[in-house]
Amino acid sequence: MKAIEVDALTFTYKDATTKALDRLKFEQEQGEMVVLMGHTGAGKSTFSRCLNRLIPHFHKGDYSGQIRILENSITGKRVHDLVDQIGLVFQDFESQLFSTNVELEVAFGPENLCLPREEIRERIDEALEMVRLKGFERREPASLSGGEKQRLAIASILAIRPKIVIMDEPTTDLDPQGKLEIFLVAKLLKSEGYTILFIEHEAEAVREADKIVIMDAGKIVTEGKPYDILKDSQLLENHGIRPPQIAKLLEEINEPMLSLTMEETLKVFKKRDWKISDEKYTALLEKDEQHQIGYGKKIIEVKDLEYIYPGNIKALDSVSMEIREGEFLAIIGQNGSGKTTLVKHFNGLLKPSRGEVKIADEDTKGKQVWELGKIVGYVFQNPDHQIFADTVEEEVAFGPRNFGISRENLSLFVENALKEVGLEGYERCDPFSLTKGERQRVAIASTLAARPHVLILDEPTTGLDYREQKSIMELLENLNRKGHTIIIITHSLWVVAEYAKRVLVLHRGKILLDDQTRKVFSQEEKLARSFLVLPEIMRLSNRMGRTLLSLDEFKYCLKR
Amino acid sequence: MFIYLDKQSLLHRLHPVTKIVGLILLFIWSMMFNHPLCLSIIFVMVLSLSILAKSLSNLEKFSILLIILALFSTLLWSFFLRGPTRLFKLGFIQISKESLLYGIAMGIRIDTMIVSGIIFLSTTRTEDFTQGLSSLGLPFPVSFALSLSFRLVPTFQATTSTIVQAQKSRGLDLESGRLLKRIRKHIPLFVPILIHAIRNTDLLAMALESKGFGFRKRRTYYLQFRSTWQDWLSIAILAGLIGFSFYLRLSGYGVIFHRI
Repeated sequence: MKAIEVDALTFTYKDATTKALDRLKFEQEQGEMVVLMGHTGAGKSTFSRCLNRLIPHFHKGDYSGQIRILENSITGKRVHDLVDQIGLVFQDFESQLFSTNVELEVAFGPENLCLPREEIRERIDEALEMVRLKGFERREPASLSGGEKQRLAIASILAIRPKIVIMDEPTTDLDPQGKLEIFLVAKLLKSEGYTILFIEHEAEAVREADKIVIMDAGKIVTEGKPYDILKDSQLLENHGIRPPQIAKLLEEINEPMLSLTMEETLKVFKKRDWKISDEKYTALLEKDEQHQIGYGKKIIEVKDLEYIYPGNIKALDSVSMEIREGEFLAIIGQNGSGKTTLVKHFNGLLKPSRGEVKIADEDTKGKQVWELGKIVGYVFQNPDHQIFADTVEEEVAFGPRNFGISRENLSLFVENALKEVGLEGYERCDPFSLTKGERQRVAIASTLAARPHVLILDEPTTGLDYREQKSIMELLENLNRKGHTIIIITHSLWVVAEYAKRVLVLHRGKILLDDQTRKVFSQEEKLARSFLVLPEIMRLSNRMGRTLLSLDEFKYCLKR
Repeated sequence: MFIYLDKQSLLHRLHPVTKIVGLILLFIWSMMFNHPLCLSIIFVMVLSLSILAKSLSNLEKFSILLIILALFSTLLWSFFLRGPTRLFKLGFIQISKESLLYGIAMGIRIDTMIVSGIIFLSTTRTEDFTQGLSSLGLPFPVSFALSLSFRLVPTFQATTSTIVQAQKSRGLDLESGRLLKRIRKHIPLFVPILIHAIRNTDLLAMALESKGFGFRKRRTYYLQFRSTWQDWLSIAILAGLIGFSFYLRLSGYGVIFHRI
């Protein structure tokens, strides 16, 4: 039986000029797991919201086309008519949860369906079992980790017992561990016979799907078995998806691909006698060393730093480190490991409970944020937490004006910053009308315009598609080359491997590892203790006895 | 921080309607007198209620706020009211015995009300509150929205503090400058906060609708409350105390200023 049939679905948001969906045609069998991919703005969320009638009921606009759910047309139905057929899980789990404890959160749906208490009890048990949150019934949702929160959001949908579950980028805001948990839940749901439509950015995680569908400009561009889609690197890159790196590697060295797994690839390498050249690997190591020689003087110095939040929660414990001018440092670790707390000490937002932090040889004690901000610029994770002005130009000028840049220099500084981030010509634009990737650039420009020496970025790539992620990181690489010291906090380990020269791993407020990227990533077991799983291509190289940080390095070193 | 405490106590067990009615009665009670002695007695009783409710830890959290409010209100009322027995005069500032006592009374009154509120929130989940309001006859969406607004305060606070930090990192200095300039300086905070609030409300509304909120006029509740003799007794005791107090008040006790 067909679970979803869509024909000629077209939708234009009120006040928008372009169609968000354009004569979209789609079909999904019952019990299938379909993964929907495509770059930001392709219309994936819009499509998912049409399926449960949030569109056209909640978001208004021009709507036409036919949707049949479980072989019944949904034209004229309301959102609540469909709750027991379609469940929709959103990306932003924080704003989906509103109850006092886990079990009441799950009870909310069944209560609305007027079910008797006994039945609600049963459904809570069943749903929590499915997402593996049994034993969490009385916990307050705010006390859960990101992955647990998103699983709770899924459970609260499952308790309504919909036949079809749609998940709209449920893993975007999660750390690697949290992502893994969600993928496991999706797999389990599939084995239980649910029909699943999964919107996701990460190609490596969706191999269990029955079908991958790629969307662009409101249409379905292509669909196929995971293997056929994932091996087509060109196709994936064109649609803002990072191709599985092993597949791309095999393609580039002209090896016939039989499978995409690491084990299979190791076998292929062995059989066909592919090895990592010692000579070339040594050259890579030399390059690492050379990089270090180029660093300037100490710019940030942290000694025995301890930070305690109100309520006696120790967030940092005896952290000592220093950062030199010209470094590109990545700080990684699970949520709650103290990453953000640490960098907030670098521009004076937080002051040490014990120990000291020196910026350019001066203690941060007694210094104001606006003084330190001239040396250390800090770009927060979500650009929407800072954008307020009517035009991009005004927004970018805000920082330098606060820091007392003279009127004559102001427009020059703004102009340069916009050029740096590739937004020249956007001066008069309304920042709110830009895409997330562009808003991220505006945020970077607004910090950059004050010309701080050090640039801190908290999760600069979250919520962006592959193309946007790459261009933001290339921008940072460029700034680093021009002499800026760059510090990023991130969960995305491929970003770290390809761009950062040094990695600091935090685990429960302490430094677990602090070294050159290659040296840190060679210690897979130690990283695993902090739930950090390396990208496949790096694990492959580690299995071969060497640590290669990117596809390019791999290609460079392989010989036979 | 969200202040509900997941504990077992008499007040946790009471029917939400009892607690809502009780809260209102406590408010009325503290409005009856304006003599510090009478109000102190009420305040002590409310304090002992908080021990019974095992919510002293929350009172500790708010203790600074309580002290500041009490002092502030004492000072303010002492300056503004004029009584017959003058204690102190400096230029146009003067304090009388009556105004001082009245001020202290007002300080105790406001603290009594806040402490009652804290006890209520420490022992009542938002879901209990929703159900209590519904069984008092409010439509479910209204009671849900009312209690939800309490629930969202901490989330909202967290975002606000992030936004303040983000703008401070861009050199925003909220502490210096004249009043008008300082108010203007808050625009970079208001805009992102407002936009965040709108976006969040939107998302929440979608999530609620996707879970069948407003599916039918009626709905069931997972939590079930039955009123017991404890509920009746609690209300009876409170009503009795208030009745007695009313009698005292009519007989002219517990008042500093008769007009107010």
